[in-house]
Amino acid sequence: MAIFNLKKREIECKIVYYGPGRGGKTTNLEYIFKTFRKQITGEMVSINTEGDRTLFFDFLPMGLGKIKGCEIKVQLYTVPGQVQYSSTRKLVLRGVDGIVFVADSLEVRREKNMLSLKDLQSNLKEYGLNIFKVPLVLQYNKRDLGEQGIPVMSIEQMDHDMNRQLKVPSFPGSALKGDGVGVALKECMKLTLKSLQKELKWAQ
Amino acid sequence: MKMSDKENIKRLLKEAELYQGQGLLSEARSKYDEVSDLIRNNPKIKNKEKLLAGVAKKINLLEVDTQKVERGPSSPELSPKAQDLIQKLFSFSKEESEEEAALEGALALAKFGQFERALEEFNRLLSLEEHRVVAAKNILRCHIALNSEATAADRYEEWAKGDLFTEDQLETLRLFLEQVFENKGVDRKLTTVGGKAETEAVVESKPEKPEEEFIDISSIGIYLDSGPGKGKVVEFDVNFQSGNLLSLIISKKDGTMIEHLNVDNKLDDLQFYSPIAIFNGAGVVAAKSEIKSGPKQGDYCLDIKITST
Repeated sequence: MAIFNLKKREIECKIVYYGPGRGGKTTNLEYIFKTFRKQITGEMVSINTEGDRTLFFDFLPMGLGKIKGCEIKVQLYTVPGQVQYSSTRKLVLRGVDGIVFVADSLEVRREKNMLSLKDLQSNLKEYGLNIFKVPLVLQYNKRDLGEQGIPVMSIEQMDHDMNRQLKVPSFPGSALKGDGVGVALKECMKLTLKSLQKELKWAQ
Repeated sequence: MKMSDKENIKRLLKEAELYQGQGLLSEARSKYDEVSDLIRNNPKIKNKEKLLAGVAKKINLLEVDTQKVERGPSSPELSPKAQDLIQKLFSFSKEESEEEAALEGALALAKFGQFERALEEFNRLLSLEEHRVVAAKNILRCHIALNSEATAADRYEEWAKGDLFTEDQLETLRLFLEQVFENKGVDRKLTTVGGKAETEAVVESKPEKPEEEFIDISSIGIYLDSGPGKGKVVEFDVNFQSGNLLSLIISKKDGTMIEHLNVDNKLDDLQFYSPIAIFNGAGVVAAKSEIKSGPKQGDYCLDIKITST
């Protein structure tokens, strides 16, 4: 749940990068940190990673400037993707306003994508949130590996697997190259702000 | 050796190496295993032993990586700066109540495995009457998590001698700690002070087993391993779901598809289509009956109990 400071006319919202382990959530944040320097308001913090595996979470604060008379601050988080970190994943999700679900395009990760989406739904439910109502976008990451001859799923298959009923915006991407990173974040922010505008009625 | 086999091995090795590089260790392992099988089962390969030894070497290196991940600490001690950040970011109520926020921050530290620091925070929170019992319970929890049951017991005894807690609160804490000890098989008796445990707190001390939740399933794909549809996957809509029990109404024209399915038949290859994802699982036929009257007369009602997903 975003924090609306009426006195300062400031809104602080939280966007969480969710998805299966080793799917590229941290790489998304790293690319954002490198590329959107103007909007970055602090350091990217990776709260302990084992090798390059996120154990806890990554955090990146951003500022979007004034929108309709309100200063908008956005906190980006990643969750640990590995199944065993379920309780920290749930804690990081608390108070979420928007989600970028980073799915892995590798064929061998098909089931893991679906399990992670299922996990997201059940964690959201525990916070009283509905996956069909929460601002959500899907990013189909690692598309570049297909060009190297590694079996990746088609966009149609990924849409069929994960977006058949959700029908949320989805973007092919390669976080390593930066493809589809900005566009997914922007869409998620757009949906999040739209939803907050409705909820907090700040722009009316 | 056929060219296609050679290419196949090369392709699998490339995949395995890429997965390993990405940290997808079990996926890499299964590709290396596929390579080994291909080599072993191909009579035309001449230098089998040498090739297999090469793959075995790669598997050994992979094992080292896997063990590193498995043996790595699940909650390593973080720097004070990182701990401060956790406390700050996960104090959700900071706008409404500083005390509540302080408790949330301490709970977050404990959840992230930063028990020593969490202990400091919970000890500070003991001074706040409103959060005293919760803080005390979490102090005991942190000691237990640090494998220091004796310290937890000593701490309780210290409280039992002092006047920080009421008798009822102490009874709550005693029951809580004894329950933890019982679960862990620790034989340690705690001093009873004669209070009456606070109902709410006692309930809290016995965490409820979460009801197993089943995602809403809109349709189901059944792999038929016998009958006229043998080898096919047939998809049916789910008409009703109660937890892990799915009821399907199957039209009489599709009756032949399910004529080989009988009560207690195990279905090991099911595909569940939920509104948000497709996933595989297994189930068992719980009931099968023909509808004898009404508009669906002649159709079948098939109940499938999901046994695993």
